[in-house]
Amino acid sequence: MNARRQPEQALPVTARDLGKKYRRGWALRETALVIPDNRVVALVGPNGAGKSTLMGLITGLLRPTTGEITVFGDHPTGKGLHPAVAYLAQQKPLYQQFTVTETMTFGARTNPTWDQRYAEHLIEQAAVPMDAKVGTLSGGQRTRVALALALGKRPRLLLLDEPLADLDPLARETVLRTLIAEARTQGITVVLSSHVLAELEGVCDHLVLLHSGRVLLAGDVDQIGADRVPLGQLVLDRMREAAAQDQATRGAAA
Amino acid sequence: MMWVSWRRQRAQLITLLGMLVVGAGVIALLRSTMIDAITSSQLARCVTQALQDCTAPDGAAKAFQEAWTTRLNIGQAVILGLPALIGVFIGAPLFARELEQGTHVLAFTQSVRRTRWMVSKLVVALVPSLIVLIGLQYLVSWWLSAAGTLGPRKNGSFTALNFGIEHVSPVGYALFAFALGAFLGVVSRRTLAAMTAGLGAFVVARFALSGLVDRLVPAQRLEVSPATNVNVYHDGSLVLETGYLDAAGQLVSKEKAGALLQACKSTSEGTPNSQEGFLACLPQSGLSKWYASFIPKSQAWQLHLVDLAIFGGLALLLLAGTAWVLRRQS
Repeated sequence: MNARRQPEQALPVTARDLGKKYRRGWALRETALVIPDNRVVALVGPNGAGKSTLMGLITGLLRPTTGEITVFGDHPTGKGLHPAVAYLAQQKPLYQQFTVTETMTFGARTNPTWDQRYAEHLIEQAAVPMDAKVGTLSGGQRTRVALALALGKRPRLLLLDEPLADLDPLARETVLRTLIAEARTQGITVVLSSHVLAELEGVCDHLVLLHSGRVLLAGDVDQIGADRVPLGQLVLDRMREAAAQDQATRGAAA
Repeated sequence: MMWVSWRRQRAQLITLLGMLVVGAGVIALLRSTMIDAITSSQLARCVTQALQDCTAPDGAAKAFQEAWTTRLNIGQAVILGLPALIGVFIGAPLFARELEQGTHVLAFTQSVRRTRWMVSKLVVALVPSLIVLIGLQYLVSWWLSAAGTLGPRKNGSFTALNFGIEHVSPVGYALFAFALGAFLGVVSRRTLAAMTAGLGAFVVARFALSGLVDRLVPAQRLEVSPATNVNVYHDGSLVLETGYLDAAGQLVSKEKAGALLQACKSTSEGTPNSQEGFLACLPQSGLSKWYASFIPKSQAWQLHLVDLAIFGGLALLLLAGTAWVLRRQS
């Protein structure tokens, strides 16, 4: 980890001129972004907009092609994740042959800030049997275990990549409700990505809208929505505009 | 972190332990059966003495070798093959399986450095494998020494089968095979690809480098008149090179020496030469001395250490490469 600059004041995430190019093209371009403290951030955009890429850059799993990114003042590196950040990838990777108890032990052994009682409390709340193998759990239960693992480390920034994607509507609501309750009581900044704004609209207080690798809209919800246009409508309008622009440039190029 | 790696590799470690226990039982049983066979056919003295010197019933030694040589060779082959198996089944899947299933993200997103994660996985996988390998190596060696000169040991320490299973050589091969598998695993991110490519590359490298050690240990040189009887072929030395020298001490080329030897086999009248005439003819026609460069049996340990240095050095390079690939951000 690089030398930490003013850890207390440092913002969860700042990005300047951030870009990421894969072999097949740019996934994220010229992104300037600030994620402030104590927010529930909705990272919204259609598939392929660059949501997972942005999360990969924050965790240090990916390296920026251009620009720079800081996480609590540090530059993410390939050495390891910032200790104050927890990340739940889209596939919700867990060791299938571990039991739930062993998964929690894994969290305890790999995180100095681990809070065993809190993690166990989250598992109990989810009514997941502690001695069951992770591989035998349902999708919803597995998400709850992965979430307990992410929260048990007591992060200050929690990144969740499409956390609700493979859940049924009822499980979605419970998971989201638990998550928001924990975030608000623990003072965690949570970044949730989704391609559907509707599922996050009621809970988020900060929005980052991505479209084909660019930030279309970013800010606190109460400021964005100040002119009384419903948030969903606003986002949809912006995306239509961007799509029309894309088509126009493509038409001009042809 | 050690606990995590141990828990992840538990099934594998139990299998390894099982292999050691079963192997020890089988070898102990075979050894005692073999000793019974040696005693009952009155061959006990032939274990330490050369076959032509020991007194044994007619055909007993031959019958014993017919019955036991294959089994002893299989024992040797197990030790020779074990490094490859360690590379394929333990080295290759170590990181490839995590990368393939995406579980490396789980480890990379806890508060543990990637290098520490890698080292703990390496240690938990490698140390038990080496212990099992060394254990089985000693057991097979114990069994082979019970057969002594009746068994494969009679061929000396330098034959491929004997050399590759003695001293530190197997450990060197195992380190190399393991590191090769691990490296190919992080590069390909595919378990099956890493296993097959690792096996292929290991076999090729093992053959390609097998002659290298002979050249890295200083050989001894012997120069005698062509009439002298030499011992290097019978005392278990590794003979690297032989040839003839002329009166000035210059090397006589193989073709020329061959022609001169052929010429000396017949007298000037065209009749076959006598042994004395042949030996007298050689210095006269310019083959004054015969030389051999060889490594005596007593220096075999140096060869084994060089072997370990070569394969262990390659293993370290490959592990450094593995760490580099794992720490690189895509």
